[in-house]
Amino acid sequence: MISLMTVLGGLAAAGTFFAIGPERFWANWLVWSLMLLSVGLGALFLVALEHLCDARWSVPLRRTAERVSGLLVPACAALATALFSLKVLYPWARPEAAHIPAIAGKAAWLNIPFFSVRVLACVALWLLSWRVLAGSSAEQDLSCDAALSVRMRRFAPFFMAVMGLTTLVVSFDWVSSLEPEWYSDVMGVYLFAGSFLAGLAAVALAVCHLKGRGRLAELRFDHVYSLGGWLFAFTVFWSYIAFAQYMLMWYADLPEEVFWYAHRGHGAWRWVSLALAVTHFVIPFFALVPRDAKGDLDRLRWVAVLVLGAHFLDLYWLVFPVLGERPLFSWPELGFAAFFIGAALLWVRRSMKQGADMPVGDPFLEEGLAFKL
Amino acid sequence: MAERVFSVLGLFETPDALLAAVPRLKAKALGRLEAYTPYPVHGLEEAMGLRRSPLGGMVMVMGVLGTLTALLFQYWMNAVDYPLVTGGKDPSSWQAFVPIMFEVTVLFATFTAGLGMLLLLNKLPAFWHPFLDSEASKVATRDRFALAVEAEAGLLDAAAVSAALKAAGAASVETIPEPASARLVSINALLGLAAAGAAACVLAGAFMYWGIKLFPTLPPMSHMLAQPRLDAQMPSRFFRDSRGMRTPAEGAVARGGLPYPFDKDDQARGLANPLPRTEEVLRLGKKVFSNNCLICHGPLADGNPILTAAYGGKPANLQSKKFLDYPEGEIYHTIMRGKNAMPRLGDGFTEDERWAVIHYLRALQRAQHAKDSDL
Ligand code: HEC
Repeated sequence: MISLMTVLGGLAAAGTFFAIGPERFWANWLVWSLMLLSVGLGALFLVALEHLCDARWSVPLRRTAERVSGLLVPACAALATALFSLKVLYPWARPEAAHIPAIAGKAAWLNIPFFSVRVLACVALWLLSWRVLAGSSAEQDLSCDAALSVRMRRFAPFFMAVMGLTTLVVSFDWVSSLEPEWYSDVMGVYLFAGSFLAGLAAVALAVCHLKGRGRLAELRFDHVYSLGGWLFAFTVFWSYIAFAQYMLMWYADLPEEVFWYAHRGHGAWRWVSLALAVTHFVIPFFALVPRDAKGDLDRLRWVAVLVLGAHFLDLYWLVFPVLGERPLFSWPELGFAAFFIGAALLWVRRSMKQGADMPVGDPFLEEGLAFKL
Repeated sequence: MAERVFSVLGLFETPDALLAAVPRLKAKALGRLEAYTPYPVHGLEEAMGLRRSPLGGMVMVMGVLGTLTALLFQYWMNAVDYPLVTGGKDPSSWQAFVPIMFEVTVLFATFTAGLGMLLLLNKLPAFWHPFLDSEASKVATRDRFALAVEAEAGLLDAAAVSAALKAAGAASVETIPEPASARLVSINALLGLAAAGAAACVLAGAFMYWGIKLFPTLPPMSHMLAQPRLDAQMPSRFFRDSRGMRTPAEGAVARGGLPYPFDKDDQARGLANPLPRTEEVLRLGKKVFSNNCLICHGPLADGNPILTAAYGGKPANLQSKKFLDYPEGEIYHTIMRGKNAMPRLGDGFTEDERWAVIHYLRALQRAQHAKDSDL
């Protein structure tokens, strides 16, 4: 079923390139590359956070997060491929840019060689982090070597720096520079918030799914509740950052800043922006605010799906306005969604079949299982 | 009469022993269960079957109320009652309301959570509780875990309870008597509170005193009033005589006026009124006359002053024959230079005001000496 969906979606996606044109193709490609990347990075952030804080409650959940973070591998491949989109999507990569002072002034940063180096450096850092954090954990299943825990804990602070700097670079390079005259200092934080939220949602969804299959049986309400708490907290954090960015630009009303929001606040884009506020904040917030809701698997499942959908909408809302006045959404977008969702599911499912569902070699697993709120 | 019992209390060595004992005493249903532990024991709530705390619901309701309060408050002030355009924004812009709405929501929610927990649900302030007089209270705050069975409606079978507690594994059992009278507030607690209040006052006073003394008091904000410009009567560090007010340079002329050159009224006779006799000019003239001349010359300019006799001067009757065809230049001269008891008022008026009041004076005269053709 999933394979069929992936193949059909792939055909539609490839068809987009020839039937509609490279612009639409690369815009979709970029959105979905960022989607995979943010889910993978977000999940890996949860893993690293556990090591950093020496947390116990999340040890039984960690394997699920590590498996989801495996999406970083296809995400890196997709993002490296997206380097071909530069001349299509990014105004600064075109020769005309030299005549626009606002863009020409940024040429030291926004030029194709340096851009590519940054992308490859980020990719290398992500894959290294994933190798160390997820790889050591898998290794520990067999060896039960506590030294590996030490290694992961030593690496975690380094990963925090990697996460912060690379999301900043991704936000400036891949997102803001689509409209290179525009700038926002908080874009990196905004993308980080969305990324961690998406990672949490994906992990929550995977946990719900596995529990539905009778796996992760020892995971109790207390663990699920804590995960739901994270999801709830970062729903609010994302909204805070998103609104802060909007409000400052709205208030200052500087032409070189506000045009970005003006574009997204008019015509049909206005409704997309509104839908983003509702699906990314209002519904998840009220769905998760009651105490029991955060540990309720059924509730968590649909909220996680909603949050992932809202995160897609967020990326779409960031990228697609460069294609024109009207939001484009029809078969190419559906095809891309089918292809990337299908491929991601296949990828994660493959890792779900390998090894144990919990880090059985981790010395803290028992303590983690005994965790009580 | 046997002493009434408030509760019977067993001490346990470990939290697990306490947890194990709870269901066994609950099953016996001898009285209300209460536990005293040095730190929160996981699972105790469920074991004791405590009701779900209503705090979450209270916080939710108050949080929503906070949001609405802030919204309505700001909307009323900014959009309805006193609309001020700032930054070119519509006074009812919702964007500007959101931060305050967020803050007030948090304020209401946290206050409800804190005060609701302490005052409503934890029944504070309570300065004393029968448990505090027990031996067990000394260790239950350190490393022992106490489980008490409290009397319900004053009834408790103390012997049965201690037997049950012992059977459930209590290391020791203690009976707490019902206090003779409800000691809600103890003298010690009151004294302590008073001492704490006094200490806080002293501390705050000392802080204020030394704080202000040692750290220069900076003006919290400088208004537009604070400017390098010199105001009247202000000293100046720039001029050697340190006076801020300077006499104008030789030959300087104030803006909007030329010096008046004539000393004799016949020199001024030839001046002509430059203003047209329009309604606007007469209105201005009326204003100047009512504010400046009327008090001496009377509302009809007939020399009947509103001033009392103590004034002493005899203002001219401007309705008299002499003044009906008095040259306007001479009236102007009187305004500029004054005459005997009539002060020189002209410096306080603009050129237009001087001539406008003359037009008005003429209109007053005409009104008193109207001809048939005026009707
Ligand atoms: C403080 C009271 C006072 C006020 C105010 C006052 N006057 Fe007089 N005015 C007098 C007195 C007293 C005289 C008579 C002076 C004299 O002839 O000794 C007089 C005389 C005059 C005369 C006749 C001068 C002449 O040549 O004999 C005119 C014209 C006149 N006032 C106009 C005005 C006008 C116009 C105003 C308002 C701008 C005004 N006065 C305000 C007290 C006043």
